[in-house]
Amino acid sequence: MKLNRSLFSSSEFIVFLALLAVGAFFAFTSPVFLTKFNLLNILLQSSIQGIIAIGMTFVILTAGIDLSVGSVVALASVLMALMLHAGVPVWAVILINLVFGVAVGVFHGFSITKIGMAPFIVTLATMAMARGLTMVFSDGKTIFDFPPAFEFFGAGQVGPISVAVIIFLLYALVAEVVLRSTVLGRNIYAVGSNLKAAALSGIRTHWVLYFVYVVSGISCAIAALVLTGRLGAAMPTAAMGYELDAIAAVIIGGASLMGGKGTIIGTIIGVLLIGVINNGMNLLNVPPFWQSFLKGAVIFLAVMIDSLKNRPNEA
Amino acid sequence: MNPDPVLETLNLTKVFPGVIALDDVSLSLRPGEVLGLVGENGAGKSTLMKLIGGVYPPTRGSIRYRGEAVQFRSPKDALDAGISIVYQELNLISHLSVAENIFINRLPRRRGFVDWARLYREAERILAESGMAGIDPRAIVAELPIGVKQSVEIAKALSYDAQVLLFDEPTSSLTGPEIENLFAVIRRLQERGMGIIYVSHHLDEIFEITDRVHILRDGRTVVEMPTAEASEELVVSRMVGRDIQDIYYKGAHEPGEVVLTTRGLSDSVLQNVDFSVRSAEVVGIYGLLGSGRTELLKAIVGARRLRSGEVLLRGRSVRFQHPQDAARAGVIYSSEDRKGENLFFGQPIWKNETYIALQIGRFATLGFTRVAEERRAAAEYSEKLGVKAPSLDTDVDHLSGGNQQKVCLAKALINDPDVILLDEPTRGIDVGAKLEIYKLIAQLADQGKAVVFVSSELPEVIGCADRVYTMAGGRITAELTGDAINEENVLKYCLQTTPSGGTAT
Repeated sequence: MKLNRSLFSSSEFIVFLALLAVGAFFAFTSPVFLTKFNLLNILLQSSIQGIIAIGMTFVILTAGIDLSVGSVVALASVLMALMLHAGVPVWAVILINLVFGVAVGVFHGFSITKIGMAPFIVTLATMAMARGLTMVFSDGKTIFDFPPAFEFFGAGQVGPISVAVIIFLLYALVAEVVLRSTVLGRNIYAVGSNLKAAALSGIRTHWVLYFVYVVSGISCAIAALVLTGRLGAAMPTAAMGYELDAIAAVIIGGASLMGGKGTIIGTIIGVLLIGVINNGMNLLNVPPFWQSFLKGAVIFLAVMIDSLKNRPNEA
Repeated sequence: MNPDPVLETLNLTKVFPGVIALDDVSLSLRPGEVLGLVGENGAGKSTLMKLIGGVYPPTRGSIRYRGEAVQFRSPKDALDAGISIVYQELNLISHLSVAENIFINRLPRRRGFVDWARLYREAERILAESGMAGIDPRAIVAELPIGVKQSVEIAKALSYDAQVLLFDEPTSSLTGPEIENLFAVIRRLQERGMGIIYVSHHLDEIFEITDRVHILRDGRTVVEMPTAEASEELVVSRMVGRDIQDIYYKGAHEPGEVVLTTRGLSDSVLQNVDFSVRSAEVVGIYGLLGSGRTELLKAIVGARRLRSGEVLLRGRSVRFQHPQDAARAGVIYSSEDRKGENLFFGQPIWKNETYIALQIGRFATLGFTRVAEERRAAAEYSEKLGVKAPSLDTDVDHLSGGNQQKVCLAKALINDPDVILLDEPTRGIDVGAKLEIYKLIAQLADQGKAVVFVSSELPEVIGCADRVYTMAGGRITAELTGDAINEENVLKYCLQTTPSGGTAT
């Protein structure tokens, strides 16, 4: 019976190997893949997904799920665009946007803890409502033309590095520290691992659940800020299906939908894996329909390997 | 002379990576015989059962069934041959009917559709044959009491024309009358010539129901003897591998002042409960399942919503709203349900032990954990309580029941609480670990702690407690002290549902 989980048998390490393998494949098949420009591009494209997936990691650690993230990003994006066009100063728009993210999280937390609704259902409802409101407010049209100070967060550069990437990495760092080194982080794992035991151990489980959904809401707000700036436009159909990519990244990264298991590092590797696959398939001119299929197949394989490894061996 | 054995194992050995779970075990079971299988956790009982039941193949040795060597590739092979296991956790599907559960996977069919009439007829026949005619095959399993569910599980096993039945801790969640009922069923099966292997931690059951007792320790057979020639002490000492003096260690404490009191505590289960515990005292609470004993402890720490009544700590009303409030005040509850309500599976020992402490601000600065300190404290308490594990980083999933319980206790004690509410701390753990826990309880009282100890095992309540409350139907039915703490009294009061109002000394 081997009890110590060494670095090399951790879920994160296996996904990391998968990332290297997929990367090596594209490096051999496409001359462009390994260029500095392309690698930075992958990082940039992964940053929005990454920010959302970080929020999703918090939620999934508590055995919850947040299906609303894509729609909430789109709604936040349109709301910011409308405020900017109404002449609200950029700093106020960003602040209100973050408050909006918090409000979405509080709404989810309240519905789940106080009313006792299932996270899947609550966030499914929000997903539809937020997308609907996005269409209503934008009248189904794309909104352009924002002040440069606003677009800086999505399109700006510091030296060779995009501001978006910096935001993503800083956010990941903060998330990692919270999960790894704080009592709150420990409690998040506890709530996901065993809700009843958590409450009897003195953990205020309702606050923990509020917190993770608020983190997910804030993540959507930040992602919306970066996305809108980068595109220079707020599109009512933006971020469609992002919830599935975010969930996939978290699960590929070794988290369990049953809660209590997962890390930020794992999620980031999961996000990068999906980003590399998307990028590589574009470079190789894989037709879009096949891209979707192949991405699904890789997700399946990655999670399958982990599941096989963690299959309970009876003793 | 004795008939030929229906089941034999010859030098059965099972090796798991790094562990010899079963080492050269030979036993034989004759038709119409009940063989008791006892041993501490990890002694190899479950492995033996699983080898016989076809869950996995032996590394060495063989199994002979009705005189022929057999190799079961799956539990289904064993079932089809006529060997059924009734597991500790019932494997019933709660929202289906009794009949559907009995014939699950083999529902009788007519033209592709389920033949309901035949299903219920067959189920009725099987239930009647095993003396359970009172069970309605149409009843939904979820609505049945646990004892009846177990009967259904047995009927399911019998429906495979079983010749051999293995019982794995069948009574762990049954009440007294339900156990009697189970024994009646077992005796009837015995008369019908079935071979039965009975695994249990409860030695009184072994002595009541078995013909022979087979003792395992560390995967090996220690001894096998006719039950009539064995004594409880002998069996225990062989299981543990040492002599047992003083099973119940009373300690040397004199109860001091009253620390915690409840007045008129009522909620959806509890009815007007007045209860108190003193410093340096062990208070036992005895009651059957559903008597309100667990609810009382949970209500005290604020894990249940009260309808009325109050909790006083050293004379001051406290009314905890959440177990965290109770922990801050030095009152800690440790749940009986280790897996469901106490431990965090998939997490290492040290993290499990410090959770309560973290909530009240220990081992943390501005919300950041001080891991080195945590680990030091966890190491200290694991050592104090004798947690046996490869390291502090071992996940609690890999520990035996007794060691898991010690981790639960370390988690409760690491804050040095004044009042410790232990809910069935000895449930489902082996004898050796039980003895250590009795001793610990006495030591805590010696240190001046107020200890409340809920148990459904009569001897340990009588043996450990300075004072005993009996509970039934959400009420306290008696408070016993001194010589009044005896088996007769405790049983009498825990079966009555109206309060005697009396105190016996």
